[in-house]
Amino acid sequence: MKQLRIAIILLLIGGLLTTTAFFMAFFTAEVQQFGTVTVASELDTAFQLVSVGDNGFSYGRPWFSQKIFYFHVPVAEASFLVLLLSAVFAVRFLMTRKRSFDTKSRIAMETSLVFVILTMITGVLWTRASWGVWWEWEPRLTTYFIMMLMMIAYFVLRNSIEDEERRAVYGAAFAVLAAINAPISFMITRVLESNHPVVFQSGMASSNLLPFIVAQVGMLMVGYAVYALRMSEERLGERIDAAKEALEG
Amino acid sequence: MEATNAELYRLALTDAPYVIAAYGILWISFVAYVTMTLRRVMRLEKAVVVLEESLERREA
Amino acid sequence: MADEILRRTPPAERTKVPGLSLRQYKAILRKDIVMELRTKEMVTSMGLYSLLTMVVYQIALSQSGSAFDPRTIAGGLLWLAFIFTSMLGLNRSLVHEKDQGCLEALLLSPVDRPVIYFAKASGNLIFLLIVETLTIPVFALMFLQQGGYGGSWWMIPLVLFAGSVGIAGVGTLLATMSVNTSGKDFVLTVLMVPLMYPLLLAAVSATSAAVLGGDGSISQFWSGIAGVAGYDAIMVLAAYALYEFVIGA
Repeated sequence: MKQLRIAIILLLIGGLLTTTAFFMAFFTAEVQQFGTVTVASELDTAFQLVSVGDNGFSYGRPWFSQKIFYFHVPVAEASFLVLLLSAVFAVRFLMTRKRSFDTKSRIAMETSLVFVILTMITGVLWTRASWGVWWEWEPRLTTYFIMMLMMIAYFVLRNSIEDEERRAVYGAAFAVLAAINAPISFMITRVLESNHPVVFQSGMASSNLLPFIVAQVGMLMVGYAVYALRMSEERLGERIDAAKEALEG
Repeated sequence: MEATNAELYRLALTDAPYVIAAYGILWISFVAYVTMTLRRVMRLEKAVVVLEESLERREA
Repeated sequence: MADEILRRTPPAERTKVPGLSLRQYKAILRKDIVMELRTKEMVTSMGLYSLLTMVVYQIALSQSGSAFDPRTIAGGLLWLAFIFTSMLGLNRSLVHEKDQGCLEALLLSPVDRPVIYFAKASGNLIFLLIVETLTIPVFALMFLQQGGYGGSWWMIPLVLFAGSVGIAGVGTLLATMSVNTSGKDFVLTVLMVPLMYPLLLAAVSATSAAVLGGDGSISQFWSGIAGVAGYDAIMVLAAYALYEFVIGA
């Protein structure tokens, strides 16, 4: 199977790239600072202290939880792209009524859901480490949570329909609605103030940008590989069903 | 804030468990998901070969 | 009258009859209203449901003490009642159509699909608006006696209408899908709540501004209305485009 081979090759390259990015994030990327701590007198310490005149010494607190960013954002962006892919396949299914597009749309949605759940987990850990709370009703988090609920609803909808044709059409219709709704809820929550860090507005040092880009490219490859892997599994399943039918009939 | 040396270390390391957990969950989930899918694909491939062979034998 | 014209006109010439779509639209809408006038089932069940919601609110607020001002959460409480009431109504209206074979008859008749969609959505909108009009005074009487109403009188009707258009428009599509599943009302809830999130957020913001009044409430009100109107425009258009596929499956 050609697709399976492509999937495995992409998976290996993507895995290599993300692993590289992982090590770069911890060893070459510049450590960001998260506030400063002042000390009255000079301490015998391994930390770099800066004299601030009469007020003693200040020490830039390393922002360790920022390291989550290098993977959290690539995973989130991969999930958006795969959701978009799913909606595109859904539209093409509605236009052509070819079953293969329905399968592609469903598998893309499933892949996206995996990525969304991983984004949620890394995001919640980030929130706890950086903001001190597990959850905050903040635009991006809320939008993402709603998106996850819509994806789960997509599978609930599909599972409660017996008729295959109807399941495919309803699923496609809801996938399109969900893909339209996600940006709207993002816009509407934007009207309110947000405290989600907007990284690219302020710019990043190149030592930080590089591992991020490597992780992003790697994660997109992993995302496509997971999708292709699941697709080849579906195709094999279809072939088995066809062969079984031919044997029985 | 006044800080002692021990507190400086504590401040630097409070985030560590969350970072470790985030990366751990991320990697373990990916590896588990891909391994499970790959194993299913392998099993299906074997089944396809067996089924299509027996189909050919019957047709011959 | 509309029936006669339909019977006399062959399908190919249907589009040439001027004003036929409007007459078909009116016929379907009239059918829904006549049926409701005869049974009074929808408005009674929806009205009773929203009254029961008020009782639940009383329980929820019973421990809040006299210092708590229910006006601060009035918008949220109102829309919470409306969204759940609307789901009950939407489900009922489509279940009736399906059980009595009315939907199939409509599909067999030479009526354009968009006409069916707009007629059903308008019917649901009318019933929803009736129930909302009945609920508002009761709600105001029960929860808003102290403090009074801060905005202008036309604010609440405007936001109610704008919000209900979105609920009825998207809800009609979702209810058409959910009546054909094995989960029915459960599936409707799962599909509806996440899709309604942006609309509800904007509508609650506008309603709160209208109830509380004060500085900046006018701009908050209009930005809420803008959000609701934008949602209505995009999502109703999407629902209208998808309805043809969904109803044909």
